[in-house]
Amino acid sequence: MPESISPTETETRPGCAVISLNGVTREYAGHAGIVCALDHASFSIVAGEWVAITGPSGSGKSTLVNLIGCLDRPTSGELRIDGVDVAAMSAAEMDRFRADKIGFIFQQFHLIPYLSALENVMLAQYFHSMTDEAEARAALARVGLAHRAEHLPSELSGGEQQRVCIARALINNPPILLADEPTGNLDAANQTIVAELLQDLHRNGHTIVMVTHDPEMAALAQRKIALSHGKVFCHPVLSQVVTLKR
Amino acid sequence: MTKAPHKPRLSFTGMLRRSLVHRRARSLSALVALTVSAAIATALLTLYADLNTKLHKEFRNFGANIVITASASTPLPPNALAEIQRTAGPDALIAPFAYAVASTDRGTSVVVAGTDFASVARLDSWWQLAHWPTAPNAALLGNRAANFVADEHNVKLTYSGKAITLIGAGRLTTGGDEDSRIYIPLATFTQWTGINPTVVEVQVPGGAVTVEAALTRLRTQFPSLQIQPVRQLVEGESRIVERTHALMYGSVLLIALTVAVSVLATLSASVLERRRDFALMKALGGSQTQLMSMFLLEALVIALAGVALGYIAGSAVAWGISQINFHTATLPRLSVLPLVLLLNIAIAALAALFPVRVLRTLQPAALLKGE
Repeated sequence: MPESISPTETETRPGCAVISLNGVTREYAGHAGIVCALDHASFSIVAGEWVAITGPSGSGKSTLVNLIGCLDRPTSGELRIDGVDVAAMSAAEMDRFRADKIGFIFQQFHLIPYLSALENVMLAQYFHSMTDEAEARAALARVGLAHRAEHLPSELSGGEQQRVCIARALINNPPILLADEPTGNLDAANQTIVAELLQDLHRNGHTIVMVTHDPEMAALAQRKIALSHGKVFCHPVLSQVVTLKR
Repeated sequence: MTKAPHKPRLSFTGMLRRSLVHRRARSLSALVALTVSAAIATALLTLYADLNTKLHKEFRNFGANIVITASASTPLPPNALAEIQRTAGPDALIAPFAYAVASTDRGTSVVVAGTDFASVARLDSWWQLAHWPTAPNAALLGNRAANFVADEHNVKLTYSGKAITLIGAGRLTTGGDEDSRIYIPLATFTQWTGINPTVVEVQVPGGAVTVEAALTRLRTQFPSLQIQPVRQLVEGESRIVERTHALMYGSVLLIALTVAVSVLATLSASVLERRRDFALMKALGGSQTQLMSMFLLEALVIALAGVALGYIAGSAVAWGISQINFHTATLPRLSVLPLVLLLNIAIAALAALFPVRVLRTLQPAALLKGE
């Protein structure tokens, strides 16, 4: 089981909106004209909340992840992450902000194939500030992979790779964890391990925004935000945190 | 699963090295292309640097490129040879000639030329003969002129009633007027005929510009003498040198473009293959500058390695070509290294344009989602 992990100070203030969208629209110029991928989305996510974003393919989930992950800017509307207006930032400021505030967990893990598990974790440190091997080893230990630190991704199972990905997301202690289908590529056993890790992170105060197709994973979240054709349907009531049963 | 531990330190250079080694086939492909370009550029530029010297040296073998003629009324001034040497330059080869029409012991008229064999041996090294005469009473017989005498080894000639007997020193073949002449040492000739040199052949090393400059100096110094260039030689040399230069430049350019296309394909494939890696780095906070630097540094490292290997290979090729064609060694020239370096960096930069555009328009979220 992972050790206790604490997010940054901002996230530890319950009730404070760490993510806030106000009429956020994202349009793309396509061959057939302007495509509205996200249409006047407005909602907030408070610090320490676990939110599941659901919706069919093409509903705007990736666009939303792009925006919350500070990888893109809204065409219109206001998006604030940790109180900062994303649209007002320069590209360099956004890179810096992303490294500070967002921890990404991907469906396909996206580990650099020629770097060991430890180095993949240190990669996030490298782009954030400076590498610290001891800290990176501790992060791997938290996800139960201390003994696999020196292995290349190709030498790890899918579940282990996802845990490395989680360790990498946590290494800079970001206030927001952005998980995009975190269990989409895992078998049932590894799905349970990852779900437990996320639950533990949530218990320790992390804000988790999780895109998922999986109703069981979505059920773990306190709140679901459903997307359809770029429009947002929020489930305003916080649900009880449940335990994944497989 | 026990594997040899990987070195855990993470640095920019470490990542670069790992990345190059991990994609060794692509890295090697780009390295080979850039090595070939550097090798060819080195070889051609090394040869190019020596080309003028070598071609001029080759052209020296064709003989004089300036002919100075004194008329019967205005003979060569005293000390003319030393003055001509001084005016034409210390590197110029000069040879004096005096001519007379004598009779052989068969009663055939023949042109006898008095000259300095040592000078002619250097100036007209292309003449075909067994050995250059050294004896003061030697006679070198032109291939046709040899038929005019009764005994090739005992050459009897008469000029204005004065007879002379010379020892035949072999035959001379040039395919020109020389084949119909008998050449004897100048001192012996002058003593026998009383005629001084009227023609001086001059070989000025260098291209057309150098020869023209020497011509102008000589004409200024000796206004009463007829001073003419051997146009075919001067202009022919100039044309050959210019065309060879153009050919070399063209070859380097063509090869550079070919290599650029090859490297472009390799680097593009490399970036397209690693779009997700770069997208990940961007998602982790990597700036556009960091990603560009990482990619461009990879291209630069390969280009520099290509220069190092290509310089060695190209110098060896230039040495071989020089040995085979000019029978002299061309040593490696450090002066070509900056040019080869610039060329390879330019190729790598040109080839990196498209991949850099791909990097600039990277959409991390879509790529990391697998779209």
